[in-house]
Amino acid sequence: MLQKKICMVGVYGTGKTCLVQRYVHSIFSARYLSTVGVKIDRKEIALDGQSVMLLLWDLEGRDDHHDVNTSYLRGAHGLIYVVDGTRRETYDQIFEIRDIVTAALGPIPSAVAINKTDLTAEWKLTPADEAAVETHGLHRVRTSAKTGEGVEAMFQWLARSAVGGNGAAQ
Amino acid sequence: MPDNQTTEFAELRQLLVGPEQRRLEALADRLDGMGITPAELADLLPEAIALRSRRDQQLGRALAPTVETALRESIRRNPREIATAIFPVLGPAIRKAIAETMASLVRSINSAVEHSLSPRGLKWRLESWRTGVSFPEIVIKHSLVYRVEQVFLIHAETGLLLCHVSASDLKLPDADLISGMLTAIQDFVRDSFRPAEGGTLRTFSVGDHTVHVEAGPAAVIAAVVRGEAPEGLLRRLQFALESIHLEFATALAEFSGDAAPFEPVRPVLADCLETVLAEPGTGSRKTWLTWALPLLLLVALGAGLAIRSSLRWRRAIAALDAEPGIVVIGGTRDWGRWQIHGLKDPVARDPEAVVRAAGVSVAFLGRWEPYLSLDSAVVVARARKAIGAPADLAMLLRRDTLVLLGTVPLNWLRSIRLADRVVGVGSVNVGELALTLPPDLDSLRRSVATTLVRFDPGSADLTGGASATVAGLAASVRSLVAGVTGAGAWVRIELVGRTDPSGSDLTNQDLAQRRIDRVAARFREAGIAEAVLVPRPVATGRPLASDDPAERARINRSVAVQVTVASRSIDGGKP
Ligand SMILES: Nc1nc2c(ncn2[C@@H]2O[C@H](COP(=O)(O)OP(=O)(O)OP(=O)(O)O)[C@@H](O)[C@H]2O)c(=O)[nH]1
Ligand SMILES: [Mg+2]
Repeated sequence: MLQKKICMVGVYGTGKTCLVQRYVHSIFSARYLSTVGVKIDRKEIALDGQSVMLLLWDLEGRDDHHDVNTSYLRGAHGLIYVVDGTRRETYDQIFEIRDIVTAALGPIPSAVAINKTDLTAEWKLTPADEAAVETHGLHRVRTSAKTGEGVEAMFQWLARSAVGGNGAAQ
Repeated sequence: MPDNQTTEFAELRQLLVGPEQRRLEALADRLDGMGITPAELADLLPEAIALRSRRDQQLGRALAPTVETALRESIRRNPREIATAIFPVLGPAIRKAIAETMASLVRSINSAVEHSLSPRGLKWRLESWRTGVSFPEIVIKHSLVYRVEQVFLIHAETGLLLCHVSASDLKLPDADLISGMLTAIQDFVRDSFRPAEGGTLRTFSVGDHTVHVEAGPAAVIAAVVRGEAPEGLLRRLQFALESIHLEFATALAEFSGDAAPFEPVRPVLADCLETVLAEPGTGSRKTWLTWALPLLLLVALGAGLAIRSSLRWRRAIAALDAEPGIVVIGGTRDWGRWQIHGLKDPVARDPEAVVRAAGVSVAFLGRWEPYLSLDSAVVVARARKAIGAPADLAMLLRRDTLVLLGTVPLNWLRSIRLADRVVGVGSVNVGELALTLPPDLDSLRRSVATTLVRFDPGSADLTGGASATVAGLAASVRSLVAGVTGAGAWVRIELVGRTDPSGSDLTNQDLAQRRIDRVAARFREAGIAEAVLVPRPVATGRPLASDDPAERARINRSVAVQVTVASRSIDGGKP
């Protein structure tokens, strides 16, 4: 069976763990348990009649003390940058993180999850901000781990890009 | 040619063929400068190198610094590439070198362990004895058996699972997750502890499982082991990893999630599972035990017997040494045959009986030289034997005087006295002996004792009947005295003179004495020695009793004879 390594990166508390839990186990918890190191999960999906096993590496979020640990990223076939739409700094740091990752891995299929879309009242990003992601060559998906919005589609897109190789959009 | 002529000639030549000469020089320049074209060099270089290398070492020496620099630069720029390239080649070589130096060490350690009774081994033996569980089972219980339960082949870069095998009875749905986590752990350790270049986590424990990780440049092999994995397993893992790197170099490099090309690896991994299920040392240890245990028991038994034999020997010798009349001079004891030699008094106890009495039952060869012991017990035994003394006759030696206690027949007295000739006996004291008379003397004594010589009132005259009684008495007493003194004993004949109560004490005393004198005179006349006769004029002092007063008066007007026989001199008595 084909296996693909997908990594979740981003600032702490943006919902990386929640997105994986939603995708793999279809559950959501409002409790925040910060990830230490890395937690690996997996999900088998069907892609054009072929089954693919996704290994989802949920990395600990970036904070003032810990930068993204690139050694966990080695050999990754796909990346998801997670942004918390209610915290603007999580959006700003995406581009720094991307530079670090690209230096270590080279170009690989990547998506940006603009997460927590259910929290519209606290939304801090303008439509222009969100659109700017695509001008940086990153695939953009609006997600909510709480409602499940965009989650399935995002992983599906990334899996397809990873299997299809570098031909997929950056 | 002089110098000025040379200059003139050159000038002339310049004038005549100048242009041609310049062209010639240009041509020569070009030939020298250009030498060989790169194309020509490419053709010639390999052959030239081969030629020169065959001739001498110059080329190698010349190139060495350049090659070294190039190599260093290449490694600096891309270490992973070089490592990947040389890993399959270098791995076995290094492993072999290490294995060879380690092998002898390991062998000696192993044999030392196997041939010593370690405290652990003894503890297990004790446990086996205590619980009744066989020793091999105890050994197995205590981790001598390990099990390689799972083997993972993991893509080093992505942490994705390339191949996985597990013991047939194990269900493991999460192999791919474990694979990822193993890699993440490796990354974590590398990042957190920053071990020296190339250092990785080799083993870690989870409960009673140990995970052994062998990391190569492109793939990692991990074995999950229950119990204690032997060194051999790690070598096996290394070997598998190297061969995988060699065979699947391209597949590993091009891996992008499709594990199908690694399916042929499965038997290699399975090999790690099945060949090390049992502890290889168990067999040899067991065979060692099968001969060592009985041997050990034999040795222990032998030692026990030797100690016992030695104890018995010492006990026997001590008993013989303590025995009167036996002196041990020496002895030998080999292979259970005992020989003891020394001195033995003829009357001493049998040495074997002495040893037996000491609680040691063993037959041994004794060589005894006869000697005469002055040990009192032996002297007594010798005397006893000499006189044929009966058991109820007690003897003891006071200094050199043999003292006899008990009752013996009168006629033994002479032979008993001969005991003073026995070695170690200075004199014999028979004074404490009581004597029994032979029947003839005894009946004489009895008749003498019951006979009264009667007198008329106030008279000391022997009337007709009394005179005859005295004659009979005298004959009996004479025989008695002769018999007793002839046997070596003393005899005392007491003549007890009595009177009836009438008359004064003074006259009665005198009367009693006169009556004794009359009888004594007749005894002397009959040939009885004066010395054995002892007068006892008791008069009315110790009257003979009777209920009838007249009869009482009659029997007390008399002289009675009392005979005392003794083994030693008595007052008035004489042999
Ligand atoms: N309302 C809402 N809350 C969310 C959503 N996603 C995550 N959260 C909450 O945000 C908090 C952090 O979520 P996590 O998934 O643990 O965040 P993380 O990115 O894994 O954080 P680190 O592991 O610390 O890097 C939790 O309290 C979640 O309940 C979302 O889509 N909507
Ligand atoms: Mg998390």
